[in-house]
Amino acid sequence: MAGNERQTTRRNLLSWLFRAGTGSVIATLVYRASGVIRGGRQVWQLDPRKCIQCGKCETECVLQPSAVKCTHGYVMCGYCKLCFGYFKPDASRLDEAAENQICPTGAINRKFIETPYFEYTINEPLCTGCGLCVKSCANFGNGSLYLQVRQDRCKNCNTCRIAEACPAQAFVRVSEHSPYLLKEKL
Amino acid sequence: MKGAGWMLSLFALTARAESRFPQPQFDSGHVVPQAFHPPVMAIVSEWMDVALLLFALGVATWLVHRVRSRRWILAFSILCLAWFGFIRQGCFCPIGTIQNVAVAAWQGGGLAWGIAAFFALPLLFAILFGRIFCAAVCPLGALQDLFIIRPQRIPRAWNAVLRLAPLIVLLFGLVYTLNGAGYLICRMDPFVGLFRRSAPLPLLLAGMAVLLLGMVVARPYCRYFCPYSVLLEGCSRLAWKPVHITTETCINCRLCVGVCPVDAVEIPREAPTGATRVVLFRRFVKLMVIAPLLVVGFSTAGWMKVGPLLAAAHPVVKTREAMQVSTPATEALYPAIEAAKKQGQTRENLEAQAEKIIEKFRTGSAVAGGLFGLIIALRMLGISQLRRRVEHEADRYNCIACGRCYPVCPKNIENA
Repeated sequence: MAGNERQTTRRNLLSWLFRAGTGSVIATLVYRASGVIRGGRQVWQLDPRKCIQCGKCETECVLQPSAVKCTHGYVMCGYCKLCFGYFKPDASRLDEAAENQICPTGAINRKFIETPYFEYTINEPLCTGCGLCVKSCANFGNGSLYLQVRQDRCKNCNTCRIAEACPAQAFVRVSEHSPYLLKEKL
Repeated sequence: MKGAGWMLSLFALTARAESRFPQPQFDSGHVVPQAFHPPVMAIVSEWMDVALLLFALGVATWLVHRVRSRRWILAFSILCLAWFGFIRQGCFCPIGTIQNVAVAAWQGGGLAWGIAAFFALPLLFAILFGRIFCAAVCPLGALQDLFIIRPQRIPRAWNAVLRLAPLIVLLFGLVYTLNGAGYLICRMDPFVGLFRRSAPLPLLLAGMAVLLLGMVVARPYCRYFCPYSVLLEGCSRLAWKPVHITTETCINCRLCVGVCPVDAVEIPREAPTGATRVVLFRRFVKLMVIAPLLVVGFSTAGWMKVGPLLAAAHPVVKTREAMQVSTPATEALYPAIEAAKKQGQTRENLEAQAEKIIEKFRTGSAVAGGLFGLIIALRMLGISQLRRRVEHEADRYNCIACGRCYPVCPKNIENA
């Protein structure tokens, strides 16, 4: 009986050693990983300087419609009457008729300010993040329209599906305290 | 003058952007608006997030080990499913944090402490109390648990083979991630779309298919896919207070065997004697001979086949692939080429980079293959256990502490 008990104790000791060993492996791994412990979360954002407007933001996001939407850096905008982000290249007339617009969902509002200037605002609930207006504005205009991850919509997935599909690798992680990469401020 | 100053500062702001058209000066005094950028909408702070996980693990431990009630475990798991799944919406979860921790440990760059805690806490609980996390806290497990309707017994041999899948996902998923191709393990989470009630169709269908399969094969993702289960099983093996079917003396009535959905009840057996011992010893010797072959075999397969296969998902390799298959006429179909050109990448540079990356994937896969072979060998050795067992016991590896065996055990009923 005494021998039996001693054996049990020895086994107990061994198990505790194993437990402590595994525990310290986990602790070491985490410690080594967090060599630089960061406070605060990291969130996804799209670097507009790298973006090539391939259209994957619209289709790859786990959300439908996507968390990426078009935004407008007004200070860069030329307030053009013929806006390349607004009108199709073959638009028959420069008016707000749907057939003249690039935007498939009509998410850009065009407002007359004064001759010859018009102001363009994004109606975010309608925007799908396809980037058609962004591409055209970047190619022919001032490039004041650009795509951004909207942080009120983004679920901040551990891995962003758009980031993995992005051919330009334009997705980066930024601090939650300054979660936008605004083109007019870069 | 004021206007000119404003224009100057404006010019400074936009100096680096394309300015084909000058910014207007409004006579009507129109003020250029500022676009609104909504701040991050986090439901709870990082502190709260970790505190809630710790709290959930604590409560689940208490329910599994003290209250010992299937009903309460189920109720709490639904609560956790609601919070960690449908409200907090999945990310990040301990399964995915394997990759964050591995990347940070391998490449540096730091790790948010909340992610580190999500990785370590369930494992530490497993070392002490078994797979508590699987029992009630993990939303993926809780969701599948609700769909267990007619769980079928999986034949031992099938089970042994299928149980290699989580190992493959873990080892090769890490090779994929550490070499910069992305977070594969997260991509293969079938339920994230259901938790967010919004996803591309294939993801939603995959989630539903797994749940339907779960009606006959209990918790298929947990048992035959989840890479975190490999780590949890290892920790649970060492559990200080593992799950016990009954706290009394087992009367070997076998009722628990019938209700266990994951075939995790081990039945009593005699220690092998005489002739069986000899057979087992021969098998042991044979395994010792086979083990190095397994290691070398899988390692070679990793180098030859799996490495290049995984490397194909790396963005640089993808771009090179696009360049190889495209002609100047079809180049526009491949956005990756446009992006590479915009970033000033030359074709030669890209080729060299891609070759290097494939080489890295080969090395990584060879190591992962070797480890895979080694673990198979160790598992086979584990089959020939020599210790006698007199009671029905919960298998420390496979038991997910769901508590279904508690209410059927006559000994537990007696005491209730």
